[in-house]
Amino acid sequence: MTLTENLFENLRMELRRGCLTLAVLAQLKQEHYGYTLRKALAGRGMEIDESTLYPLLRRLETQGLLTSEWREEEKRNKRFYRLSSEGEEIFTRLLGEWNAINTAIGNLL
Amino acid sequence: MELLDRYLDAIKKHLPWKRQDDIVAELRANLEAQLDDKETELGRKLNDVEMEAWLKQIGSPIQVAARYQRQQYLIGPVLFPTYSYILRLVLSWVTVIYVVASVATIAAQGSGVEAFAGLSLVHVALRLPWIWLINAAITTFIFAAVERVSARYPSKVSPLQPVTAPWSPLDLEPVDTGDGDWAKPWSFAKALAEIIFGYVFFAWLLLVPHYPYLMFGPGAWYLASLPYKLAHAWWPFYWWVVVINGFELAWKTVDFASGGAWQKRKVWRNWAMHPLSLIPLGILLTAPGQALFLAKTAAANDAALAQANKGLHTALIIVVAVVVLQLLWNATKMGVEAYRKRVAA
Repeated sequence: MTLTENLFENLRMELRRGCLTLAVLAQLKQEHYGYTLRKALAGRGMEIDESTLYPLLRRLETQGLLTSEWREEEKRNKRFYRLSSEGEEIFTRLLGEWNAINTAIGNLL
Repeated sequence: MELLDRYLDAIKKHLPWKRQDDIVAELRANLEAQLDDKETELGRKLNDVEMEAWLKQIGSPIQVAARYQRQQYLIGPVLFPTYSYILRLVLSWVTVIYVVASVATIAAQGSGVEAFAGLSLVHVALRLPWIWLINAAITTFIFAAVERVSARYPSKVSPLQPVTAPWSPLDLEPVDTGDGDWAKPWSFAKALAEIIFGYVFFAWLLLVPHYPYLMFGPGAWYLASLPYKLAHAWWPFYWWVVVINGFELAWKTVDFASGGAWQKRKVWRNWAMHPLSLIPLGILLTAPGQALFLAKTAAANDAALAQANKGLHTALIIVVAVVVLQLLWNATKMGVEAYRKRVAA
């Protein structure tokens, strides 16, 4: 990987980091467990690695933005996540920020 | 499946022990569901090669487990600026205290100038990196502990805030040009006054040996009555002080007379004079027998005199050490500034 590609990759990761949280919160208005959430996000063009998504879910739950419960589905125990009430409030505010940034970038380009 | 079990078991070993079962159970459910999808798509089970490639693509067990750690850094971005500032302060003060204490200890052992400049000093210098390392480690440990406690018990500890003292732009120091006060324009009146007072001081300096009361006042007669006298080393010391002052005064006079040079005090004149001050100090330091005061009579040659001479010698060593450190500090500052300017250019 050349220096420019390396730099681009670092900046891309940085740019994506905040967007991933927003995408996960947006998708978890409906209940999902890890794998179906990953598939749902990928289906809408937001690919996330397993090793990034699953720990992110844990972190968001620890921060109180998600709630989870273990439930059996298709003979397997799975942990289902959904947005908490605090998560909904934070998501709305983050979405406002996202829209403002999007508009600003749009104005700049 | 066997490879997946081994993979999950390897991840488990690197997870926080309190949550490892829960995390592995969830990870297993997600990966097995993903595996089912893959196998349904292929219409058969994955072979070992495909399984290996898939698990490798997810990431090494250590990397995957690391993502589940609550804290992946020792000191976070909120605390780091304070940590960096405190670390620099600690290392600076530790260096000063260590060097002064070491030099004072060497001097107190009475091993003389040779030991001061010799092996003892080398020993002190060689130990300095260890002192830095230990103090940096202690400082880092304290900050890392604060960071960890704050991350581990977020409900019990108030969120970390950057440590900043109340400040106002008006309280900030004037811009340092790198030359300090010496770079400030010097008015004609100030330059003239400096030269006039310089000559008055020089005349006073020349008269002091003949009229000691000019320095000590009435105390001169009391000192004369004591059974002690100055050692011979004071004379070369005195004449070096005279020569250095005369040299500086002549330099200033030439600058003043050359027109316009008085408007800016010369930085390098200060630089030239500073090392010169080490010469008279060195003369006193190398006085024969380290004796700066002698007894006028054999009867006065007592333990109190020896103790006083030893104390003065120790004090001189400390003064020389401070002057040398100041010189090194200024030279380092100038070097760093010159390097910074060169890099910036």
